[in-house]
Amino acid sequence: MNKTKIGILLGAVCMILTFATCIQLKTIAEANKTASGSFSENRLRDEVLRWKENYDIVYAKVQEEEKKLEKIRKKVTENDESATTTREELKTANRLLGFTDLTGKGIEITLEDNKLQSVDGLTTGNIMDYVVHDDDLIQLINDIKNAGVDAIAINNQRIVSTTGIVCDGNVVRINGEKVSQPFVIKAIGSPEGIMGALTTLGASLDTLQRLGIVKEVKKSNSVNIPKYEGVIVIEHIRTLS
Amino acid sequence: MKGKGTIIVTIGAMIALLVCVMLMQFRTIEETDIEALETMRETELRAELSSWKTKYEEASKLLEETKAKISEYEQTMANNEESSKLLKEELNQAMIKLGKTDVTGSGIVVTLKDNDMAYIDAYDLYKLVNELRLAGAEAISINDIRITAMTDIKWIANGLIRIDSSPVTSPYVIKAIGDQTYLESGLTLKTYGYMDYVIKSNDKTGVIERQDNITIKASTVDMTFEYAEEVKKQ
Repeated sequence: MNKTKIGILLGAVCMILTFATCIQLKTIAEANKTASGSFSENRLRDEVLRWKENYDIVYAKVQEEEKKLEKIRKKVTENDESATTTREELKTANRLLGFTDLTGKGIEITLEDNKLQSVDGLTTGNIMDYVVHDDDLIQLINDIKNAGVDAIAINNQRIVSTTGIVCDGNVVRINGEKVSQPFVIKAIGSPEGIMGALTTLGASLDTLQRLGIVKEVKKSNSVNIPKYEGVIVIEHIRTLS
Repeated sequence: MKGKGTIIVTIGAMIALLVCVMLMQFRTIEETDIEALETMRETELRAELSSWKTKYEEASKLLEETKAKISEYEQTMANNEESSKLLKEELNQAMIKLGKTDVTGSGIVVTLKDNDMAYIDAYDLYKLVNELRLAGAEAISINDIRITAMTDIKWIANGLIRIDSSPVTSPYVIKAIGDQTYLESGLTLKTYGYMDYVIKSNDKTGVIERQDNITIKASTVDMTFEYAEEVKKQ
């Protein structure tokens, strides 16, 4: 009996030890963080993680509900020809808006900072020239659009009607999400057409190549471009009627 | 003897628990992309935070809308006419998002002009479109040509730019519908904002004006996929 009591006591001690270790581990983590940044920054980091998680959860739910919605659309349009046509048109519109994964032939271009900061020993003297900027991506995307492509993505961020590209410190933000180099630009369309548009007078690829930040330009028979994982909001526009 | 057994079991259990806690801690650390976050400064973190908050709010709204649509369809299940009305309304919304309808609303109008010192070039226009999108523009047009997701803007010659297949010349009138304050402040940031950095510092001419009843015409471009196929999920 006495020994059992000792056992329980030891157990309790172990429990306390466990908690103590946990708290210590946490404190160490906190201490390291405080060393690298202020307290408010750490709180912000936690907040960012929490909101990202919130978003992921809601977005997963949206996906689920959308599947249900499509099922119910199918059900109500059964045996109704004109409604079926409308449903097909809606599907096409959503595809054009960027809400489906796509595949097809096209090209892939990889851009990366030129770490040598020179090409064949020659330098412009400005190290910023050898870094990939938001403007390089904006120009290249516009040049690709010249060819009349079906879809474009940068590091799997789909380019849709609301997509903006902007530098944010040493990363680039596309669709509000951070992407960093190497930048892989994928486009689905005629590979020859795209190459033509990229090499026409005034196109930016040549300049980028001369600065050594184009790592690869590759035609491909199967380019995969993911869907836009966001929402296109219409709040301020009204239709005329 | 019996007591010793209990002690060993208890200690064993405690050790197991400890290991579990440690493993859990390691996993959480691995899962969260702390390293990327660690290197961020406070202003960046604030931007990141507000961006995720906005995305969360948008997704929540979409979730509510989708749920509402489902229940509307469920109610009209027995009535073909009603459900095809719903379907048409959905299609209508998608067409608005695609830029296939004339739209109106409040926003800003930016006018860019060639002057004696410099021509407006294609970059000035597509950079502006990019900045307007960043500021949340919901519809954009340049000289009444609707700018859609895949619209291209190309320099042809000094003073001549092509948008999709239409030639345009100065003055370039860029209309954008959205939150007027966001749109305007997005362009007028000091030094590195569009108006200072792209227009004024290059001796170009441009003005911004707020307008309440902007009308933007529908896109006339034929939108179809030529090469892309949908990936079918199993």
